[in-house]
Amino acid sequence: MTRSSNFVPMLVVGIVLIVLYFPIMLLANYPAAARALARGAVLDCKTALECSFDMRSPIIPSPAQLLKGFSSLYFPPTSETSVPYNAFFTGLETLSGLLLASVVGLGLAVLLVASRAFERALLPWLVASQTVPIIAIAPMLAVLLGQYGVEGWIPKAIIAAYIAFFPIAIGVSKGLRSPDPLQVDLMKTYNAGSLQTFSKLRFPSSIPYLFTAFKVSVTAALIGAIISESATISGAGLGKMLSENSRASDAVGLWLVMIGSAILGILLVSIVGWLERVVTPWQRNH
Amino acid sequence: MATKPLNVLLFGAAGVFISLLGMILIIANHWNSSEPWSGLSVALSCILAFLGLCGVGGVSSGVVSLLNAPRVKDKTGFDLGLSIISLLPAILLAVVAVVLVEALIHAFQIPVAQIPAPTAVIQKFLESWQVLWRDTQTTLLEASVGYLIGASLGIFVAILVSRYQFLNQGLMPYATIFSSIPIVALAPVIVKAAGLEWGSKAAVVAITIFFPVLVNTARGLLEVNPLTIDLMRSYAADPRRVFMDLRIPNALPYIFNALKISTTLALIGAIVAEFFGSTGSGLGFRILVETGQASFDSVWAAINIASFLGIIFYNLAALLERRVTGWHVSFRE
Repeated sequence: MTRSSNFVPMLVVGIVLIVLYFPIMLLANYPAAARALARGAVLDCKTALECSFDMRSPIIPSPAQLLKGFSSLYFPPTSETSVPYNAFFTGLETLSGLLLASVVGLGLAVLLVASRAFERALLPWLVASQTVPIIAIAPMLAVLLGQYGVEGWIPKAIIAAYIAFFPIAIGVSKGLRSPDPLQVDLMKTYNAGSLQTFSKLRFPSSIPYLFTAFKVSVTAALIGAIISESATISGAGLGKMLSENSRASDAVGLWLVMIGSAILGILLVSIVGWLERVVTPWQRNH
Repeated sequence: MATKPLNVLLFGAAGVFISLLGMILIIANHWNSSEPWSGLSVALSCILAFLGLCGVGGVSSGVVSLLNAPRVKDKTGFDLGLSIISLLPAILLAVVAVVLVEALIHAFQIPVAQIPAPTAVIQKFLESWQVLWRDTQTTLLEASVGYLIGASLGIFVAILVSRYQFLNQGLMPYATIFSSIPIVALAPVIVKAAGLEWGSKAAVVAITIFFPVLVNTARGLLEVNPLTIDLMRSYAADPRRVFMDLRIPNALPYIFNALKISTTLALIGAIVAEFFGSTGSGLGFRILVETGQASFDSVWAAINIASFLGIIFYNLAALLERRVTGWHVSFRE
């Protein structure tokens, strides 16, 4: 299946989605607009239908409003209130969190693989932690770190790391175990020590697993960073924009921040994918 | 070698026992005092913690060698005991960790407004279980209704996608794009559009679950071994039979995998959505409000309930999987 064969169906579905957007928007906005008119609010529009396209606080914003908001919230990108500027900060926090998580996760995975006793005691809890909505801890952790004087971007990176590190630890420990017993035996016949077996065989074969874990945890880390930004007083970031717009109940702003964070999410995943291709070129044939 | 594992196990157990006893003494000593922490008890609890962890290590390695030791193939009635023994190190580690946290908090006299002691969390839980129960019900309602709607919608659309190649090419690229929207950014938009009632949170849950279920189910329905399709054709099976007897059974493991992942996502979605507005109950609401008032004992109680719900929810899905797809390779011994 080539890319060009997808183009026509994607276009058609895209057009259908855009066409469907209008009736859904009208359905959502019309009652509110009618109520506003009935209350005698001073508006620039005459009929409720007209007003549905141009409400101050729409339930679902109209495309024209989104476009207008786009030009004010995305340009200039260097302005402190623009989405790209704040997304840049959130992205940096997420990536540094991911880095921290991979250092901690790698260390833990090495311990898990080195000692079966350690694994017995710890692994059940690591596995159980995967089924726990860990994000619930983020607001409290953000406030707590603030009390101990950890402020700025560092607590956000720590929370992002905290959320990302469980999948990484499990993924890498799986990867360190992945070499074939025959390969391990081969290393033994070469008279390789356990350190050499680790650096020449186990570590390289765990890298693809590391990247698989990265792809899962990068989105989780992004969520953690955004939540911790909105839970504390922060200077910049998408979470700060979200909580400000949510408090001001600015629907257009919320939509635009949502779109911005979706773009950031896609960008981060593709950065991880690009890194994977650079770091593990031997995987490309798979 | 034959007697060694048992010795290690016993030494480890003795270490755990002594360290627990010592830490409990420290807790009792500092229970009601409000003096600043004394260097002696802090040093003592560090030593005891080290002893306790070594003890867990000893028990753990004893258990490992017990499990690895060749044993008589007498499986009847022995399996349950073995599975309890194999969980023993993890349970001991948790006990040591909880008691250690309790001891350190009392030794350092850390106020509840920073880190609540485990006993304080339990006390809070007993005091305000009615409020917490109401919160749990709200979150459970949101998560389970959203889960059912999202999962059934995802499976339904996936069936359409597998039936019509056009939809597969046109819709699936959008599904991957939409699924990369972080829940946190989606939640305020939906809560704003659909109101503060529980329905809006269920909608957030449904949308977050929809995409993983759709993508996984579609993959399961479409990635069928071409040889088996040929075989079905040689049996003169009509498309309906191919669908019912081949594609659906092929997709079931994929569907259940998605359903298991989605249990955690559902709770995360419900809790995060409650962060952005609710009508005054729900675990996420409780966590946010009590965090704002720095009463972290309530927060920890709510977090523990959420974790418990997550584990139960996940295991229900896993149980269903085992019942329905017990024939699958991954369950065979």
